[in-house]
Amino acid sequence: MEQNNQYWKGIEEAEKQPEFLQTRGNEFHEALPLEEVLNATDLDLSSNRRDFLKFFGFSVSAVALAACQKTPVKYAIPYVVKPQNITPGNANYYASTCGGCNSGCGILVKTREGRPIKLDGNDLSPLSKGATCATGQASILSLYDINRLANPLKEGKEEKEWSKLDSEITSKLANIASANGGIRIVTKTSNSPSFDKALIAFKTKYPTTEVVVYDPISYSGILLANEKSFGKRVIPSYNFDKAEVIVSFGADFLGTWISPVEFTKQWVTNRNPKGGKLSKHYQFESTLSLTGTNADIRVPMRESKEGIYLISLYNEIAKLAGTAQLAVSQNAELAGNAIKNSAKELFAAKGKSLVVSKSNNLNNQTLVNGINIMLGNYGTTIDLENYSNQSKFVEADFEKFVNDLSSGAVKGVIFINSNPVYSYHNSSKLVEGLKKANLVISTSDQNDETSDLAGYVCPDNHFLESWGDAEPKLGVYSFTQPTIAPVFNTRQAIESILLWSGTPAVEANAYNYIKTNWAADATIWNNAIHDGIYLKPASIVSVPSFAANLIDVASAIVTDAPKSDTSELIIYQKVGVRDGSQANNPWLHEVPDPISKVCYDNYVSVSKTEAQSKGLKQDDLINISAGGYTIKNIPVLIQPGQAAGTYAIALGYGRTQSGKVGKDLGKNAYPFLKIANGTTSYSNGGVSIETTGDTYKLAQTQTHHTIEGRDYIREASLDEYNKNPFVRNENKADLVSLWQEYDYSTGHKWGMAIDLNACTGCGACVVSCHIENNVPVVGRDEVRLRREMHWIRIDRYYSFYSPEAYLTKEDDIEKEKADIYDNIRVVHAPVMCQHCAHAPCETVCPVLATTHSSEGINQMTYNRCIGTKYCGNNCPYKVRRFNWFRYNDNDAFDYHFNNDLGKMVINPDVTVRTRGVMEKCSFCVQRIQAGKLSAKRDGRKMQDGDVKTACATACPSNAIVFGDMNDPNSEISKLYKNERSYHMLEEVGIKPSVVYMTKIRNVEPSKLTEKHS
Amino acid sequence: MLKYLNSRRNAAALMSVLSASTALMAQQVAAAPGEKPSLFYTDTTFVIVLLLCLLFFVIAYFLYRVKSHLDKMIDENVEGGRELSRYDKVVKPWLKTLNPTVTALLLGTIFGLFAFVKAYKFGITEVGVQKGYSPTQPIKFSHAMHAGKLQVDCKYCHSTAEKSKQASIPSANTCMNCHKYITLRDRYNGQVSPEISKIYKAIGWDAETNTYIPNYKQKPIEWIRIHNLPDLAYFNHSQHVVVGKVVCQTCHGPIQEMDQVYQFSSLQMNWCINCHKERSVDVANNKYYESLHKRLKIQGKTVYTVAENGGLECGKCHY
Repeated sequence: MEQNNQYWKGIEEAEKQPEFLQTRGNEFHEALPLEEVLNATDLDLSSNRRDFLKFFGFSVSAVALAACQKTPVKYAIPYVVKPQNITPGNANYYASTCGGCNSGCGILVKTREGRPIKLDGNDLSPLSKGATCATGQASILSLYDINRLANPLKEGKEEKEWSKLDSEITSKLANIASANGGIRIVTKTSNSPSFDKALIAFKTKYPTTEVVVYDPISYSGILLANEKSFGKRVIPSYNFDKAEVIVSFGADFLGTWISPVEFTKQWVTNRNPKGGKLSKHYQFESTLSLTGTNADIRVPMRESKEGIYLISLYNEIAKLAGTAQLAVSQNAELAGNAIKNSAKELFAAKGKSLVVSKSNNLNNQTLVNGINIMLGNYGTTIDLENYSNQSKFVEADFEKFVNDLSSGAVKGVIFINSNPVYSYHNSSKLVEGLKKANLVISTSDQNDETSDLAGYVCPDNHFLESWGDAEPKLGVYSFTQPTIAPVFNTRQAIESILLWSGTPAVEANAYNYIKTNWAADATIWNNAIHDGIYLKPASIVSVPSFAANLIDVASAIVTDAPKSDTSELIIYQKVGVRDGSQANNPWLHEVPDPISKVCYDNYVSVSKTEAQSKGLKQDDLINISAGGYTIKNIPVLIQPGQAAGTYAIALGYGRTQSGKVGKDLGKNAYPFLKIANGTTSYSNGGVSIETTGDTYKLAQTQTHHTIEGRDYIREASLDEYNKNPFVRNENKADLVSLWQEYDYSTGHKWGMAIDLNACTGCGACVVSCHIENNVPVVGRDEVRLRREMHWIRIDRYYSFYSPEAYLTKEDDIEKEKADIYDNIRVVHAPVMCQHCAHAPCETVCPVLATTHSSEGINQMTYNRCIGTKYCGNNCPYKVRRFNWFRYNDNDAFDYHFNNDLGKMVINPDVTVRTRGVMEKCSFCVQRIQAGKLSAKRDGRKMQDGDVKTACATACPSNAIVFGDMNDPNSEISKLYKNERSYHMLEEVGIKPSVVYMTKIRNVEPSKLTEKHS
Repeated sequence: MLKYLNSRRNAAALMSVLSASTALMAQQVAAAPGEKPSLFYTDTTFVIVLLLCLLFFVIAYFLYRVKSHLDKMIDENVEGGRELSRYDKVVKPWLKTLNPTVTALLLGTIFGLFAFVKAYKFGITEVGVQKGYSPTQPIKFSHAMHAGKLQVDCKYCHSTAEKSKQASIPSANTCMNCHKYITLRDRYNGQVSPEISKIYKAIGWDAETNTYIPNYKQKPIEWIRIHNLPDLAYFNHSQHVVVGKVVCQTCHGPIQEMDQVYQFSSLQMNWCINCHKERSVDVANNKYYESLHKRLKIQGKTVYTVAENGGLECGKCHY
């Protein structure tokens, strides 16, 4: 078989490191340590006849004894009074709003017998349009977190009576207010009309109150730039769906930036080459982000240079437009022709282009506004009228609050679900200040860093236990309704605020209060709660007038730019863990990072060049300092694509007060943040590192389940595709089958299509599958041993970008030429069981535990499986997972499966597997069976879309399509005939049921074809 | 643990641990609450049979010893010995020609095989099979009275059988629909029937004033579950009742005649499979099967069993 070496999963594979070559073909990471275990107990493997008889006798008697136990008595306990809308055994769905972050995506909560077990997207939400992300999917487990506070706390001790707390708190608040002491309510960005109203009621009662908005992640650069440019301190609505050319400076809008699900949905609409057109996406960034991996052209850039890049871009466009350029001396040729080319394309797509930037620097963002104004993008791809309410945090307010606290002007502080002691860059100053306050209240539902210092902790409900309304975008109202009664003795924060402001208990009840606020039109409320969404007509979009002086901005940028190329440290958000507020959620740690494929830790990303010059190796522990702060003993990860001279550390780790999972996991990078020109800066110059000589093995899955360089991925350029839609797919394997074909004609034939062009690699499908199929969390140590249990994994393949690298055979890659690793392309390929028609696993099972169904599904019967692992060995895709341990009820796996509360998230329609069996993707057979049954019961034909797998429902980019191939009108049947569709490893002749669709990049063809020709 | 087996002394210790744990297990079984001995399997009969066997074995052994002793005495005291029996003349010399090791092994194998087959059969037909299981329920509810004599429709109480996986045991408020009025005071000297008053106790109904007691702490009725499918098997009532048009009695037996419900079917997999092999799918009257029905008509096929429709595939019930 021809070895295609274009793609590689990690540097160890690209360089063919001997250790990697040795182990890549192994089914298991290491041989089973049998000898070791037996030696430890002074036993050797050889046994004589007597031993054999002893063991034999012992086993027989043990089995006999075990079998003597009689079947235990089981009970069937019905409701005393059955709630009308609950049918035991059937799921109910309630529309609500996701509380995983502040984006306000609409969700449908699936509940069984009154307990929420899964979140799906709400199609009616204009933001998320039925999609979810990994963070949102996982947030359901925070409801069943055993580390949540069971009762309110007073001075660290449990106090079960709310009324007692309330009277104490109100009297203290009244004392502070009457003595003219300041009261501050610190809350994350609120976009809830009812909550804002409650805050007003509180302010009326205690006039010395001020509300301070605090978010761990700041977008104030955009807010202030828009105030400066247009007189509006807002984040605009971006319409990536209307953009034909997108240029992003570090903004990870598909992964973490502002509202990633919404942006992914928009972005993907222009990523289908069917009509011969694709959007063109440039990404300039220093650390490889999820968005960067999906860009057509990705250019590594030092973050400190961003301003200079923006000026060049402005000038290039101005040149084309014939308007005045910004006279700036430092305007060198940057990044080859990338700036020039992007300027050309942006100008050609005037009014249909979009420039965005991650930078939190006021000047940079003002310049971005200037570029977008010049391109005429306001009113089309940028909408300032129907703006976003997703972030309103401006540092100045919070800095003032911290200063007031230190000066003793503030006497009472109420933290509403915010944890600045962990995430504020100058935490020690805040902690000192809090000591001067008389009253500190936190509504955190866990004992986190902030609530640990609070005199009173009045835990808020989880969002699945709460009533609420939100306005994430102007005119878009998203409603939250409880789907379970509060698990613990907690109370909604809005209720606490209202009660403390003296509102009578009945009125202060969250449901009554919010309903009253919507009472003006009774029809709104009922429909809004049913749909989860209420829309007001959008404002008419106009082109704003631009008021900023760009010449001053440009000269400020040049002044601020570093004069020499010192190394810099980038602080970024990871997909999944994000800002760290859900650090105690094991699902978010178990899902590998989409880029580095590391689970459970954060690390310093280093470019290969930098690593070589500093003598760093993967997994080395180093101390890293920048801006006066040092993190000790943090592991190194060599990250292809990382801009030379830059380091990157993710936020959200190193929680000192969290639950059993999140506590002391990784290192806290928040103290590296600093305020520059009034906004938080996410990069830091003057990095110094020192090696410690120790190593720490990161749990990295990137080269697990490697397919030994077989032709897995197909990609082509848009030009090639337009000339020949079958490009790379011309030669279908000519297969002679030795097996008899199955007859699928009786009912359905299930199939799946995965569009490599749409998949962004975000990991929502992985978490969704995890929840739906009761996949256990195995933990860091087991991941290191390649024993992660995910039924679906996202393979991330790198390939070299620069033309020289393309001409080099992989074997000849000179290890010294480290800079070839700076320019890479990425393909994300989700891989799950391919449900082969001639499945190699089925033929080797000695006990017929894995069999074929008449609907084309490769079935796995756990109760038959005896764990020989032959099937896993014979699977060419390496998608079968062996269940090594009893993960439930086992304190060695101390996550959520070993306590009754955590187990409430288990899907009752799917078996919880025990140790010693193989398991794998079932195509969500429980959903298939349920979908078929409901059609049969109603006596109707099945419709396309009646059955969707968990991964397909979660996907924000519609990359996964599932359906019945016997239905000629189904989407999947059409995709099967698509020119781009191919089977992975089709030459093996196993006829998978999953098709992949060729990735089409909007780049010049030469760079992709040279390798192939 | 394994290390312990290496020395003989420890093996003895181990044996005592094992027997102690058996005793503990037995205690556990005895402690299981609310359970009555079922029809098919009682501990006492088993123990009595075991003791009788032991007793007969001891008697036989003693008789044999007495006989051989007497034989020996005859041989010593009577000249020429006793008259040789047929056994002594024919069987004994033949036995002496046999190799003792081979014979012992042969007999052992035959006996072992026999025991294994027996044990296997017992294992698959008896262990965990609760056919006939008929525990005493917390309320002496009679299906013979309600479903048989009074002709209450099964689905009045088991209302979700057509909608859901579970047929579901009715909640107490369903009982109250009738038992608000039916108290059987005429049979209990003006008192409410003790069984009916158990419902009242659960839901908080004051039979004297005919009102619900406000703020009553309700307690659910803890029925003992009779039909216990293992968790690894998925079964859906609505599939069988609505789509398959199976009547309740097919699986649950003459439920309308049972005063105390017992498990009628074995609920073993072969029981499921046999039914799937025999029953046919009603493809003609369900639009879901429209295209299949058309094709079967062309083929001239009139009977289409569940098995032909994929009803024997593992993944239809095990996932």
